[in-house]
Amino acid sequence: MKAPYGLRLPAMTRTAWVRVCGWAALLTVFVPASADAAKLRGRVDGFRNLLNPVWAEARDPKQHGYSFREPVPTVRAEFRRLFPLAPKEICVAALAAGPQKAPPPVLVRVGGGRTTPVTLVVPPGTRLTFQNTDPFKHRLHGVGIPTFQPADTVRGANREWLVPGAGVYEIRDELAPSLRMWVVAEPTVAGIAYPSMKGDFSLSVEQPGDYTLQAFFAGKKVGPAVPVTVKDADLDLTKTPLKVGDEKAAAAADKAEAEKAKADAESDDKGGEK
Amino acid sequence: MVLSRFWYALLGLLFGAALFLLHLASSMYNRAGMRARAEGLSSDAQVVSWYLRDDARQRSAQLIPFALEPDVAKYLQKSNDSDAKVPEDARGKLTQALNRVNAQIPKGLGFDSVFAVDQNGRVVAYLGYEQASGMEDFELGGYPVVADALHGYVRDDTLVLDRMYRVVARPVEYDLASMPAGAIVGARVIDDRFARELSQRTGAAVAFYANGQRAAAASPADFNTANLDAIVGDLTDLEQDKDYHDKGRSGVREIGGLIAVQYTRLPGEAWQLGAGYAVARQPAAVAGPLGFFSKADDKDKKQGNLPLSVLAAVLAAGLGILFTVFEHTRPLRVFKNEAAKFAAGSVEQLTPSHFRGIFRKIAADVNDGVDKQLAKGGGPRRGPADFKEVLGDIPDQPVMSAFSLPGDAVADAAGSGPLSVGGPSSAGSGARQLPTPPGSAPRRLPRPPGAAAAPASAPVTPAAPAVNLDATMPAGGLAEWGSGPPDETEWHDVYKEFVATKQQCGETVDGFTYEKFVERLRKNRDALVQRHGAKRVKFGVYVKDGKAALKANPIRE
Repeated sequence: MKAPYGLRLPAMTRTAWVRVCGWAALLTVFVPASADAAKLRGRVDGFRNLLNPVWAEARDPKQHGYSFREPVPTVRAEFRRLFPLAPKEICVAALAAGPQKAPPPVLVRVGGGRTTPVTLVVPPGTRLTFQNTDPFKHRLHGVGIPTFQPADTVRGANREWLVPGAGVYEIRDELAPSLRMWVVAEPTVAGIAYPSMKGDFSLSVEQPGDYTLQAFFAGKKVGPAVPVTVKDADLDLTKTPLKVGDEKAAAAADKAEAEKAKADAESDDKGGEK
Repeated sequence: MVLSRFWYALLGLLFGAALFLLHLASSMYNRAGMRARAEGLSSDAQVVSWYLRDDARQRSAQLIPFALEPDVAKYLQKSNDSDAKVPEDARGKLTQALNRVNAQIPKGLGFDSVFAVDQNGRVVAYLGYEQASGMEDFELGGYPVVADALHGYVRDDTLVLDRMYRVVARPVEYDLASMPAGAIVGARVIDDRFARELSQRTGAAVAFYANGQRAAAASPADFNTANLDAIVGDLTDLEQDKDYHDKGRSGVREIGGLIAVQYTRLPGEAWQLGAGYAVARQPAAVAGPLGFFSKADDKDKKQGNLPLSVLAAVLAAGLGILFTVFEHTRPLRVFKNEAAKFAAGSVEQLTPSHFRGIFRKIAADVNDGVDKQLAKGGGPRRGPADFKEVLGDIPDQPVMSAFSLPGDAVADAAGSGPLSVGGPSSAGSGARQLPTPPGSAPRRLPRPPGAAAAPASAPVTPAAPAVNLDATMPAGGLAEWGSGPPDETEWHDVYKEFVATKQQCGETVDGFTYEKFVERLRKNRDALVQRHGAKRVKFGVYVKDGKAALKANPIRE
């Protein structure tokens, strides 16, 4: 199924059409199209122990991202951790034993200060379509990618990019520093899924066989790889969730962060008194 | 002389000192102005920074009513429950709730736009952001300020989207045991209105910039806001400023002599995008000593104590004039009067004791000069005088021809020639009694050219013996000449001299009697006296073209 890029349609119609077709392409490629396709149900655990690198960086006072930032006391501390939004940022991929062919173009929405999805795992040669869903322009570019130089994408417009080869690519926006996207080009990707806010996900693979489930976050693998053997029937893996974040490590990181913030505050106070 | 020279020197010194002081003052003024300007700009930048932070805090407090509105939390939670799409009823109810709360916000503390964002970062409802109308998938969840609010923080940010916005956000809680249901975000557009409000409250001239362009500007009434446009050309070089790059605030930069500017980065995402604000002040430097006149306002001029300055100037000028009167004008006048007396012959010589200073020396030198000239027999006459100038138009047959004897063609021819007055026996010189150097012999008058020698050496016939002109001089010398005995006595001498001269020239004197001669002289004298208003006329004898002739000198005194 070919995506209708380049059709001269009214903006909203084209936007909706591209969106529908893009997601349909994703489902078509990564979800089994035949009756033989098997569905893997699983769960990602501990993603609230992860830290969104963009937000973590922005909270650093040295980044001058704000003039004041204070916690609201009624919000519990566990929620104040800047964990990622799983449905956009954590990508669970089923890696096959051998290389997979490139899927149809994948739609990436650009808006709200980030891309959707933020982390994408695809085979090399996959064509990505970046669609600007903001009411103002963006200027996307790939960090160190010669084939993805900065260029304006106005409201509602699309921009395409072909993933050149295996590797991890970072996409940024010159006009929105918070916008960072990671594209992981993995030749053996057979299917991907994004968990819900609760961590549940459902992933389909076209062919039975041996796969490895791997979670990706911010362009990196998180948690252990889980080998699974897919047969004709659906597979329920919810009892053995993918543990992507460590509670103790996150607690330690929180503590270190709190101490650092306290030290910075005291330093600022002394500086102010001087 | 000493006083006035001292005064000139003093004035020169004062002028030089004043010029030096003006240069010194302008340099000190500029340096002090630069320091004050730098301090003022730093103060302005700090005040604007405080204002922005305080304003953000106050407005974040205005988000509390939104967060506490039950419908806001309720419908945000409802939106969270729907992963695929924001429920339409949630959008409607939330919009109503936002409008309801927004209407209660005090004027001046409100927002240009308010957004209600669910946990997924989707904008469920908003006010005042028409750019997003019709966009169902409009979201804000990726921005750190919104993400922080969704994770339980209240904070501010400066976003550069289609325009520049000051943004505050806080969480909206529905169930305290769960993570916040969403966030409420308030935004103010940084435009001229915002800048004007800021300028009014801080007194600073401020301009906001982003993407290399001026976004908004405002200034107090005494500052030309258009000058703030000049920052656009300076923004390209701004990144080279180390302080600006490292600390977010530049040093004082002067742009084209128009304004002095200090740049400060705005906190938030705008920091990384190079957006910020500039505070400006007009330079208070003077271009030179005369620059004070153009810079001074009415208040300064009042402080200038103009009457005192004018009084000092008048006193200085008066003192200078007084000195010159004493040392120049008065001695010169005395000298002039004495010289006039000398010229009029009232005094024999200039009296050095009447003068002071250089005039005494000049008088002595003049006296010495005159003495020396007289000792040499007098100098040459200073210039020929035309008899015509004295007697007016001379008829073709001159009156003097009447002195020729009847039938004496030679005598007539001699009288018909143009007569001239020669020698030093002019009215002026003849009336003056020249000073006599002590111990010197009485001086002799210089003889008229061509005439003096002839009578002295010419042989005199017994009938009309030759007369030495010197011998005919009055006993009192030249001082008495023309003002002594009656004309008859003088004319007798003239007659004798005339006869002798005629004889010397080989002319006949038969029948040329004294009576006839006198009668002619009298007539001519009367005519000349009447014509020229002279007191009397003095006649003299000279040789013209080998013949005896008479000359007449009208004397006015």
